[in-house]
Amino acid sequence: MTRLPTILHLDADAFFVAVEQARDPSLRGKKVAVGGRERGIIASASYEARACGVYTPMPTAQALRVCPDLILVSHGLGGYGAVSRRMFDLCETLTPVVQRNSVDEGYLDLGPCGFKTAAEVEAAARGLQRRIWDELQIPVSVGLATNRLVAQIASKLRKPRGFVVVPPGTEAEFLAPLGVGKLPGIGGKTEAALAERGLVLIRDLFARSESELAAALGGGWRELLALARGEDDRPVEVEREDAKSYSQQETFAADIADFAEIERVAKGMVDALLPKIRADRKRVRTITVKVRYPDFSQTAHGRSLEAATDLEAPFYPLIAPLLRAAWTQRRPLRLVSVRFSAVEDATGQLEMFAQQDEKRRQLAAVLDRLTGRATVVRRGHQLAKAPPPDK
Amino acid sequence: MKFKINRDHFSNGLAQVLNVVGSKATMPILSNVLIEAEKDCVTFTTTNLDLGIRARIKAEVKEPGSVTLPVKRLASIVRELPNLDVAFDASPNHHVKLSSGGSTFKIMGIGREEFPPLPELGDENSFSLDQATLTTMLQSVAYAQSSDETRYILNGVYFSFRDSKLTLVATDGRRLALISKEMDVAADRAGSIILPAKTVTELLHMLNKGTTLKIAFNERRATFQIATDKDTSGLLDSIYLYSKVVEGNYPNYQQVIPKETQQRIKLERELLLACVHRASLVCSEKANSVRIKLTSNLLEVTAQSPDFGEAHESMAIAYSGPELQVAFNPAYVLDPLRALTKDEVFFEVKDEVSPGVFKTLENFVCVIMPVRLS
Repeated sequence: MTRLPTILHLDADAFFVAVEQARDPSLRGKKVAVGGRERGIIASASYEARACGVYTPMPTAQALRVCPDLILVSHGLGGYGAVSRRMFDLCETLTPVVQRNSVDEGYLDLGPCGFKTAAEVEAAARGLQRRIWDELQIPVSVGLATNRLVAQIASKLRKPRGFVVVPPGTEAEFLAPLGVGKLPGIGGKTEAALAERGLVLIRDLFARSESELAAALGGGWRELLALARGEDDRPVEVEREDAKSYSQQETFAADIADFAEIERVAKGMVDALLPKIRADRKRVRTITVKVRYPDFSQTAHGRSLEAATDLEAPFYPLIAPLLRAAWTQRRPLRLVSVRFSAVEDATGQLEMFAQQDEKRRQLAAVLDRLTGRATVVRRGHQLAKAPPPDK
Repeated sequence: MKFKINRDHFSNGLAQVLNVVGSKATMPILSNVLIEAEKDCVTFTTTNLDLGIRARIKAEVKEPGSVTLPVKRLASIVRELPNLDVAFDASPNHHVKLSSGGSTFKIMGIGREEFPPLPELGDENSFSLDQATLTTMLQSVAYAQSSDETRYILNGVYFSFRDSKLTLVATDGRRLALISKEMDVAADRAGSIILPAKTVTELLHMLNKGTTLKIAFNERRATFQIATDKDTSGLLDSIYLYSKVVEGNYPNYQQVIPKETQQRIKLERELLLACVHRASLVCSEKANSVRIKLTSNLLEVTAQSPDFGEAHESMAIAYSGPELQVAFNPAYVLDPLRALTKDEVFFEVKDEVSPGVFKTLENFVCVIMPVRLS
């Protein structure tokens, strides 16, 4: 039986921008970026904006300098998750074996579809690409190959709306002329270091002796060489893993040094994250507070509860000590984030010595329902400090 | 040191002290059993510093003395010896020769100097109990102990000698079992301890070899002298068990035992046990609950798991209260039903978020927290 290029990597082109453009078609063909306000970061930029030098992740202020007529859309409206789900639902109409890697990319194994020829596989893949555009107005790039590694490199090769097929047996040939940076695990620094040794293209790797490779690449050189030959036997995995952590961060409009204000913001994150944790029927045990200084250096401090919980109350008293422990430099902060980890499944099992928790849980359930519509109830710590009275 | 001993008595004596020794002893000597021979008996002692046991076996002692030997391997050898007559001969350099029929073993021992002595307690806080009674009481509550190490206070059985009764309590925070028995407790001798789970297991293993036992305790440790007058395999006097206790305050268990009786139903214990057990066969790790529904003169038990299927059981009962439903972890229902011996139990329920309570006429209560119906 001849092998077919049945592994498909699907990568949406400028996904967040595409969702906004689908919502407001007047944004099409323009220099658009989705990102935070002035001090935030660009999450996604249209190809027109990229042509002006906007990239991700780039601080918004810098993006506006290189591209003054950039149209900035905040992620306010959201809805990205819903579009992503519909996109992957369309993928699942083609094959049940769909691995959702992130909101905008994933792998499909078309093996179970029973295609007989490469042409059939290609036609089905093109059909999917077209359907995602027709139904969702989301442009996607597609790579087809015999394994995940090559399919993924192929899909990113001719963005946007790329469609690259690597016929079986030509994987090494396909990779040879590409830059070494295309291989997973080779980041900017490694790439630069390799370039200094004259290793620029993937094919350059094969011109070197084992000892030279070991010196240039370190202990993992054999694995890297296998990747360079286009070898990869990882299957497309359907099981989507549950969230391993929940986190939120906020970049301040101006660096701030007011402890109480930062504590208020961090507690607000606790208030924002726990409803999500409850909605997912999970519990969390560990909280980590991270602070970032204006020069982007950062420190974090975490603490675990004795038992996992889905309530805000046990975490409130930890915020101030963790913030104090993380914020050691006497400098204002650019950003603060709160992360919950050690996630467990919540059970409906009621506890005996925690009747207070049960009452809090009932209250939380009511608040969750109310705040699902609008912010009608706020906790005291969510209120901003009143301006100082005039003297 | 020299003695002759019956193989099965030897084996029985070692079996009493064997479980104390863990697989990863902190000091080599703690993997050993201290063997002391004097007069007409041989004493075996093991300890892991938290828990220690001493048992006496009759033997024909020719030359008194003592030595320590690795207990696990010694026990497996003794069990397998070919002849009932065993000769034990220790040289001053702690080499032991064990002979029985045609087999001879030479085992390297360690001197007794390093072996930590078992602490003894005075009689100031001691009580005498009937072994059969304590066995029943422990079995009625032990299953409810917590095995969650982060809740170490709950990793044991609470003994309270107070108000003219002995009360035993165990809880894991989701269910609580309590049993009490009247006994003479002088007000100035009232007290309580939390006996660690491992000690409870060992104690249950020792009990019923005799009629009575004596417990003595202070706030750090407890000791038991367990009579062996019913034993027929060579045990002499009593087994001595020493244990550290769990230090800390046991939670206020009184507050979680519902004061008022809501709907009380009388149930045939074995019938309910069988129904709930059958229904629980469809439960899974993610869907681990059985739903109990009460309607006029009918009790229904249902369970389901999305990836397997569902079960429905029903039994006739005398009930005329309002219709109500409540769900529980099946183990929480089954454990007390299995531990009890009476034919009839009382079950009290109120609503889907209030605890269920099993009771018997013998001062037994088991409170189980429900699983939220969803």
